[in-house]
Amino acid sequence: MASQGSKDSPFAATVLYRDRSTAVSISEKREDELWLTMRDLEATTGWEVKPEGVCRESICVPLPVDRQDRFVREIDRSRRLNLAEFARLIEQPYAHDEAHNVWYFGPAGWEWKERLVSQQAPGFTLPDFEGRPHSLADYMGKKIFLLAWASW
Amino acid sequence: MREELKARNFEVVTVACESKGTEAALPFVQAAKQQHPSLLDEHHRMPELYNTKNVPAAFWIDEEFRIVRANDPIYAQRRNFQTGEATTNENYLNALRDWVENGPRSIYVQDSAGVRASVGKQTWEDVQAMAHFRLGVHLHQLGHAQEAITQFKKAHALRPNNWNYKRQAWNLGDLEKDYGVKNFMDAMKEPDSQPFYPPLQLPDPPAR
Repeated sequence: MASQGSKDSPFAATVLYRDRSTAVSISEKREDELWLTMRDLEATTGWEVKPEGVCRESICVPLPVDRQDRFVREIDRSRRLNLAEFARLIEQPYAHDEAHNVWYFGPAGWEWKERLVSQQAPGFTLPDFEGRPHSLADYMGKKIFLLAWASW
Repeated sequence: MREELKARNFEVVTVACESKGTEAALPFVQAAKQQHPSLLDEHHRMPELYNTKNVPAAFWIDEEFRIVRANDPIYAQRRNFQTGEATTNENYLNALRDWVENGPRSIYVQDSAGVRASVGKQTWEDVQAMAHFRLGVHLHQLGHAQEAITQFKKAHALRPNNWNYKRQAWNLGDLEKDYGVKNFMDAMKEPDSQPFYPPLQLPDPPAR
């Protein structure tokens, strides 16, 4: 994991997005605002700002017309998106550590609200104790007894 | 149990929810000489997806990848770490055998309403608490223990009944010094932390 974005540099931040960590540069530290350049936005999140909205793959989220400037601004001669404001718009939970300027973003509202609405088992991929990845779906077609446990 | 049932198109998948990683869970895995897929979930991804709030939490998933029994707070079998001795929950194991034998006709299978009732609906507070917990784990892994505690406390305040978030954080830090919790048993009884475990609703076996 990248450990950039420490308190040594007030202009650096670490963004954890879809469980991937990326170091980015920001213009200034602000509580509840994270203004990413278009280049950082795409590298960190996959989102791109287009005329029709903020888009990734087949999804485009239109920005509210009456408050565009809360989402997109030109700061330090770069066009930037406020990723925290965008997260609120798409009902995406996030958490921010100010001391080290680390941001964690969870799933969008349309993802977490869909969970367990049907009986379909959510799939996941996790490593075994030798580091080999396994997907739950590898066992599809069998009856599966799935157990979460812990040592604590 | 798996050895007995695996010829019947059955598999056991276990997920160790351990933000300390391999070191915390591996001794148990080795003591149990596990043969089934035994996975490590440092960031509690599976509990997030299945909306579970404590361990153990067991799910039955049928051949069509549908959940047919959800969130049982139980081990079918558990092994004493020191002695290696296994204790079996016969009632539960028999229920599991019955499902493997009878599939959808088993009396232990839940319908979709039953499954939904057992897992509950994920709320904005649940996912917000998850974001703070995840950030806490990342900070802890980066060596920022104090900042991690701040995030864990936010998760606990948002979702006091999420025991995964509490017990994992207490395990990474110090129960009393970091969280002001005198002891585990008292914490379990706090009204806003209830329930510790969801109720196990296992129908009685048919009379023979």
